[in-house]
Amino acid sequence: MTRIIVMTSGKGGVGKSTCTANLGMALAQHNRRVAVVDADFGLRNLDLLLGLENRIVYTALDVLAGDCTVEKALVKDKRQPTLGLLAAAQNRNKEAITPEQMKSLVAGLAKTHDFILIDCPAGIELGFQNAIAPANEAIIVTTPEISAVRDADRVIGLLEANDVKFTKLLINRIKPKMVQEDQMMSVRDVLDILAVPLLGVVPDDERVIVASNRGEPLVLDQQLSLAGVAFNNIARRLLGEEVPLIDLNATHDDLFSRLRRFFRG
Amino acid sequence: MASDDSAAVTDAVTDGSPPLEAPTEANSAAHSAAATGAPTPAPPVDPRTQLRLRSEGDYLTLLLPNPLQAETEGGMLSWGELIQQFKQRLHGSEPFWQPHTVVHLAARDRLLDTRQLQSLEDLLTTAQLSLKRVITSRRQTAIAAVAAGYSVDQLAAEDRLLQSPPRPGQPLAEPLYLQTTVRSGVEIRHPGTIVVRGDANPGSSLVAEGDILVWGRLRGTAHAGSGGDRDRYIMALQMHPTQLRLADLVARAPDGPSQQYLPEIAYVGDNAIRIAQAQDFARQHFNATLGQGAQPTDAF
Repeated sequence: MTRIIVMTSGKGGVGKSTCTANLGMALAQHNRRVAVVDADFGLRNLDLLLGLENRIVYTALDVLAGDCTVEKALVKDKRQPTLGLLAAAQNRNKEAITPEQMKSLVAGLAKTHDFILIDCPAGIELGFQNAIAPANEAIIVTTPEISAVRDADRVIGLLEANDVKFTKLLINRIKPKMVQEDQMMSVRDVLDILAVPLLGVVPDDERVIVASNRGEPLVLDQQLSLAGVAFNNIARRLLGEEVPLIDLNATHDDLFSRLRRFFRG
Repeated sequence: MASDDSAAVTDAVTDGSPPLEAPTEANSAAHSAAATGAPTPAPPVDPRTQLRLRSEGDYLTLLLPNPLQAETEGGMLSWGELIQQFKQRLHGSEPFWQPHTVVHLAARDRLLDTRQLQSLEDLLTTAQLSLKRVITSRRQTAIAAVAAGYSVDQLAAEDRLLQSPPRPGQPLAEPLYLQTTVRSGVEIRHPGTIVVRGDANPGSSLVAEGDILVWGRLRGTAHAGSGGDRDRYIMALQMHPTQLRLADLVARAPDGPSQQYLPEIAYVGDNAIRIAQAQDFARQHFNATLGQGAQPTDAF
């Protein structure tokens, strides 16, 4: 049974595409056949994050026009051959495709893959409707900011109304130090509002930016960063393993910060 | 004990009456008085702008909003939005019907095509209801309904001029019981009392002609007595609303996080919305109803 998962957030810039690229890659590393589908027509960038930009020959629209098969349009990753990318058309906009067409595209991929990850555009308009139409599961990506959480809440409501039943939460870009100093919403605060199961927490990491610019997802690094480990753990949880959350406080909770906290009360 | 037990939350009053002073003895630090910036009268709300089910004994009626009414209120919801809202309501509400109950669709003046009828039927089927009859005053809707195989009642068109405003003193609809988290962007309107078992999140809005009872955290906007009845209450286990409205009064919650997690009741007293702890309120109310009757003395 193919698991069709949409990665969505409502708000833009919270890291949907980065998470999609990393999770797709991590799942492929666990020997699953993964297709990542960019549903952001007109503003595609999943190909950049995966470093596959110059290998795109056909896009989803060419498949719908009947110019090629969906298998042929899939860009195989050179590092992980079990990972494929179905690129969106860059020269068109969201209205170029309907929810029914999206469903048929994904149905074409479902036969030959274990996981299909759909990278949803920001917003709740037609692009969002297209992206969620084929999905039976959703991963809500949010950052610990109240605007992102508010939008995530709205999106969860919309997903419920559109019969996407299994929704899980991924909290991205958390800064453990700020949480400790009570300057940022904690994981608990976010869960308190959204009330959906937690899939994982990814710490804020400057290396994510470097990895994006290079087109090499973090999980490919030899020496995994904390964010890389987090993505890998999330992939394992998706596969059904029980993996405890990493203790994000451990790294910088040295004697000094403990003393500081102690004296501050 | 008099009403000085409760803290005034607002001084926003319509009709240009002078803003009220917060009671000086207001003792609760947790909700210090906070006035709304500008006194904004609550807009008139018609709960009929949402689809809703009404029990008629052995069948249900699905009421569609009247397009004429919606027009005069400025801004009619699109069909997609209506269906979306109805879905969210169906998902959250405890079914008060047996499986395979028959539904009559009261389409009133609204034009419906075959596709829209089909989408309604699909939705009702998922809730184990079956659409059998369509009641309409439009010829095109009647034709579409006949073609789709429903029984049809065609009524004479309602005259715009003869339409009388809703009579005062009508009984409220039966309470709407929802078992869900009311999320941001969701609006629940009901011409009766709304009971939510779950949280009402920031960005959500509950509008009821009757009372609102949230068995959870109320963090969105709540408007009770939207028909103008000030004798209505908003109750929540945790009261952290974005905004409270009772009939024509508006109040916002005090700034700053509250550390108090006690059930509270919002009510209208002295032309302003006030909040009291549920236990104190019950005692006050009880004393008030006792009136001049016997009071327990120290001897007891």
